[in-house]
Amino acid sequence: MTSLVDRYVHTALRRVPEQQRADIDRELRASIADAVDARVDAGEDRDAAVTATLTELGDPDKLADGYAGRSGYLIGPELYAPWRRLVTTLLTVVLPIVVVALVILDVVDDSSIGDVIGTAVSSTLNIGVNMVFWTTLVFVIVERTGTVKDKLKVSWSLDDLPRYEPSRVPIAQLAAGLVWPALLIAALLWQQFGIGETPVLNPANWSFWWPCLIVLLALQGAYQVWVWRRAAWDRTVTAVNTVLELAFAVPLIWLLNSDRFFNPAFHSFAKVGSESDVEHWLTLLITVVVLVGTAKDIYDTARRGERARRGL
Amino acid sequence: MTMEATLPGHLQELRRGTVVVASLMVLREPGYGYSLLETLSAAGFEVEANTLYPLLRRLEAQGLLTSEWNTDEARPRKFYRTTEAGNAVTDVLVTEWARLNKAITDLDTTTGSRK
Repeated sequence: MTSLVDRYVHTALRRVPEQQRADIDRELRASIADAVDARVDAGEDRDAAVTATLTELGDPDKLADGYAGRSGYLIGPELYAPWRRLVTTLLTVVLPIVVVALVILDVVDDSSIGDVIGTAVSSTLNIGVNMVFWTTLVFVIVERTGTVKDKLKVSWSLDDLPRYEPSRVPIAQLAAGLVWPALLIAALLWQQFGIGETPVLNPANWSFWWPCLIVLLALQGAYQVWVWRRAAWDRTVTAVNTVLELAFAVPLIWLLNSDRFFNPAFHSFAKVGSESDVEHWLTLLITVVVLVGTAKDIYDTARRGERARRGL
Repeated sequence: MTMEATLPGHLQELRRGTVVVASLMVLREPGYGYSLLETLSAAGFEVEANTLYPLLRRLEAQGLLTSEWNTDEARPRKFYRTTEAGNAVTDVLVTEWARLNKAITDLDTTTGSRK
């Protein structure tokens, strides 16, 4: 049977860098033998002396950490704050954007509602876990490489202090925020009832989707007034804005990409070029504009909310 | 919090670093791990073997100690000795210790006289 001392030394050396092992092995054994001898000289039984000495030396893994100069933590206090900030930003800003993009792709693909929910849930979990894992891994590596760590140390100055000023929306922005939905509603109504010719957009959608979008546009107008009166940006505003934007953009993109948007009876596109081509490019153009516009608006509002929350 | 709960932490903070100074001073005469441990505890320094042994290697890596295996006796032992650089560091640390001691004493007498 392997002796207690052998087992202890092996266990400690397991986690010590290879090139130091032989030397530490010898030194540690000598130190243990010295301590045991001292106890035996003081009248203790040899086995009891070994047990007492090793117990006093304590957890061999901790001893190995001491020899190898390892820290007993993954991320130390210096890097914890930047790590936390980055993970928070990734999970609250980047993750929602990525998940929304994936959901929109699914909707464009005409997937069933079950598939869309599946995509939302699985991508949230999957990407979220990956984000936290890889960020943490990078920080753990940085924690263990001195030079990079020194460079990452952010020097703090008085300019970084939050200002705590109320952030009122400029009146011009409120006006723009009201005029834009009103114009869209007017255009939607006009092309159906105003021109007196064949409507450009699919009249079949008046049964549900066009009224729904009109209500949403009206809500966006109301939202602008609400934000203006509130005079503060925070996570509630971010959430309301995101819901409103998505409620508008997702059905619109779905209608566009499932050929439900344009009126099949509208043939004036043929004047410009091949009808299917024009419809195809228009669909693509509107989709891209809506996608980019929605993403930018959600991002801007979220960013503004975060900055306001931190008092910048 | 009661004093019993916070005192050990404060004492540990205060003692941290004294083992380095003491080791560098003792090892002006060559010594090995266990002998140093004995000397230090006899001198009243509370130090554990599992902190002291790795500490010796760290100080050696920093060039403050140098080591040599002595195989003359039945049990080979690694002897450490304080280097020139180690002596210089010790002097600085001891001076600082004396300065702090004086500063604390001065504070004590000034606040004491105000009472």
